[in-house]
Amino acid sequence: MIANGALIEFPTTREEAWRYTPVDEVMARIETATRAHSVSVSRTIVDALAGRHGGPRLVFVNGSYHAGLSDRDGLVAGLRCGPRSPSAVEVATASAAPVDGFIARNGAPDQDIAVVEVDPGTQAPLPVHIVYLATPDRSDPARSTISHPRTVIDVADGGRISIIETYCGLDGPTVTSASTTIRVGCDADVDHYLIQTESSQAMHVGDIRIRQAARARMRLTAVTVGGDIARHAITVDLAGTDAQADVAGVDATTRRQRHDTVVTVDHAALRCSSSQRFRAVVDDHARSSFSGQIIVRPGAEAADAHQSSRNLVLSPNAEADTRPWLQILTDDVRCSHGATVGRLDDEALFYLRSRGIPRRTAHAMLIDAFVHDVTGRVAHSSLRTHLDELVGEQTEKSGADRHDEPLDTHRAHPRLRRHHRALRRHRDS
Amino acid sequence: MLHIADLRASVAGTTILDGLDLDIPTGEVHAIMGPNGAGKSTLSNVLTGRDGYDITGTVAFDGLDLLTLTPEERAAAGVFLAFQHPVEIPGVGNMYFLRTAVNALRAARGSAELSAVEFLGLAKEHMARLDMDPAFLSRSVNEGFSGGEKKRNEILQMAMLEPRLAILDETDSGLDIDALRAVAQAVERLRSPDRSMLIITHHPRLLDDVRPDRVHVLSGGRVVRSGNRELAHELEAQGYASTVAAASA
Repeated sequence: MIANGALIEFPTTREEAWRYTPVDEVMARIETATRAHSVSVSRTIVDALAGRHGGPRLVFVNGSYHAGLSDRDGLVAGLRCGPRSPSAVEVATASAAPVDGFIARNGAPDQDIAVVEVDPGTQAPLPVHIVYLATPDRSDPARSTISHPRTVIDVADGGRISIIETYCGLDGPTVTSASTTIRVGCDADVDHYLIQTESSQAMHVGDIRIRQAARARMRLTAVTVGGDIARHAITVDLAGTDAQADVAGVDATTRRQRHDTVVTVDHAALRCSSSQRFRAVVDDHARSSFSGQIIVRPGAEAADAHQSSRNLVLSPNAEADTRPWLQILTDDVRCSHGATVGRLDDEALFYLRSRGIPRRTAHAMLIDAFVHDVTGRVAHSSLRTHLDELVGEQTEKSGADRHDEPLDTHRAHPRLRRHHRALRRHRDS
Repeated sequence: MLHIADLRASVAGTTILDGLDLDIPTGEVHAIMGPNGAGKSTLSNVLTGRDGYDITGTVAFDGLDLLTLTPEERAAAGVFLAFQHPVEIPGVGNMYFLRTAVNALRAARGSAELSAVEFLGLAKEHMARLDMDPAFLSRSVNEGFSGGEKKRNEILQMAMLEPRLAILDETDSGLDIDALRAVAQAVERLRSPDRSMLIITHHPRLLDDVRPDRVHVLSGGRVVRSGNRELAHELEAQGYASTVAAASA
C-alpha cells in the first residue's frame, strides 16, 4: 500500500518477527473485512466485558468514540484524555522501529484517536481506562467487520499515571488492527495494562511502541485471552539514561487459538534496565509463541537486561514456541534469558487431590500459581480480580484430552522438576 | 474398617506388592515395618490412588471398593496420607490450599463450609499444638520448608482434615528428637475410637511413643509376620533379615 508517498510492505513469515503468525490468513481477513455500521451497545455490556476500575473511561465502539458510554470522573488538572481527530494529533511518539502495512492503516482520517496527555509533574490518582469494543455485522454474519483503533499516550517529565487499555468484543467475526504509542518523559512513571479479551471469532493484530526518556519508569502488563488469531508486538525504546522497563504478560490459549507475542527492548542509552517476563498456558489444539528480543546498542553500557519465558502445555496437541533473540553490541552488559516448556506437575496435582480437592479445582490452582508472578503484581485490586477471572475462565473452557488423563507420569518428571526449580529460582530472584 | 486381600501391584511389569493381606479394625493403630524395597511406599500410594500401577486384589474401606475411587473421592471417604516426601507447590499459598481442602471435604461430606475467620481460628489452634509458627500459613505449600517443617505441615493437614484412616508414610524419617516427639504427641492426640491409623516406619523408636495395637513385617510385597508391639523390638534386636528368614522358615 502507499502511505505518505512511500510504498509500505505487509510482512511475510520470512521475516523473523512474523515467523509464527499465519500472515496469509491475517491478510485475507483484513482484505475481506468491511467497516462496521454503528451499533448501540449498553453500558452494562461494556462493564461486563471490560470491567469498571474507577477513574475516567473512554469507550470506542468499532473505532468511534461513544460519549454516552464513557465517564469523565477522576480527571484532575494536568490530565487530559479524550478522542481527537487524526489531524489534531502530532505523532511525537514515533519510534525507530519500522512501520509496516498494519500500522500505516491506522489513523485513517475518519477514525477517532484516543489521546491521554499528562502535564509535567502531574500525578493521576486513578487509572485511565480506554475500552475498544468490536462488534460484528448483524446484517451479514459471515463477513468480518474491521476497525483500526489508535491510542496516543504522552506523559510529560515527572508525570505519573496508570492506564488500562482493553480490547473486547461481541460474539462474531471481527478484525482489530490496533496501534498504541506511549511517550514516557524524564522521571515519569507509567503503569500500563494491555488486555485483549475479544470474542472467539475475532482476529487481533496489535502494535505497541514505547519510548522512554531519562530515568523514566514503565511497567507494561499484557493479558491475552481472546481472539482466534492474535498477535501483539511490543517495542520499548530505552532512549534516555537510567530508564527502567518491566514488560510482562500472560497468554492463555485454548481450542484452536493462535497467539503470538513479539517483544523488542532496545537499550540505546547508558545504565538502562529491562525485564521481560512472559507466561503462556496452552491447551487443546492451541498454539502460543513468544519471541523476545533484547538489543543493547553501542553506547548503552551498564545495561541490565533480563528475560524469562515459561510455558505450560496442558494438552498433547497444544504447542508452545519460545525464542530469545539477543543482539548485544557493547561490552559491560548484564544480560540473562531463560525459557521453559513443561506440563502441569503430576506430583503437585496428586498431592492436592489426595487432600480432597477435585481435579478441576486442583488444575485451576496450579495454573493460577503458574501465572501468579505476573498477575499477582497488579496493584489495583479490581483489575487483579478481573485478570484472574479472565485467565481462570479461559483455562476452564477446555477439558479435552489433558495430559494427566491418560497417564504418562514417568517420562515427564525430570523436566517438570526442572521447570519447578526454574520457577522457584525466578520467584526468589 | 480396612480390609485388604491378595493385593498385587506392579509398575512396568515389575511386581512390587505380591499378594498382600491386611485388616485394620476401626480405632486401631497398626504399624508396618520392613526393609527398603519391601513395598511400603507402594502400599500407601495404591491406597491413596496414585496413578501408574497395575493393580489386582481387593481393598474394602468402610464397605467401599477403594480401588475404583479417585484420589479426591478417597479423601472424602476419609483416607489421608502423610507423604514421605511432601510436595513443594510454589505460588499456592498454604492457607489457601488448606482452606480449599478443608472446605472440599466438608462439601463432599455434606457439611457447611468454614468461613475464613472460622478456618483461621481452627488452623491457629492446631498450629499452636504442633509448635508451628502461624507464618507458615502465608508461605507457599511446603516451599523452602525444612524436612521437619514439612512433616509438621503434614500432621497439621491430618489434624484439620479429620480422616477416618490416616496413613503415615515414614513421617519419622529425617526428624530430630523434638520434631519426632511433636509428631508422636500429635498422633496420640488424634487417636480415637472411630479413627484407624497405619504407620509405615523404618525405626522402632516412633513406636515407643505411638503404641501400635499390631505390628506387621512387610517383605517381598507381602506381610510375612504380624504381632504385637514386642515384634518391633525383636526387629530392632535381630534385624529384618533374620526376622524375615524366621518367618519364611
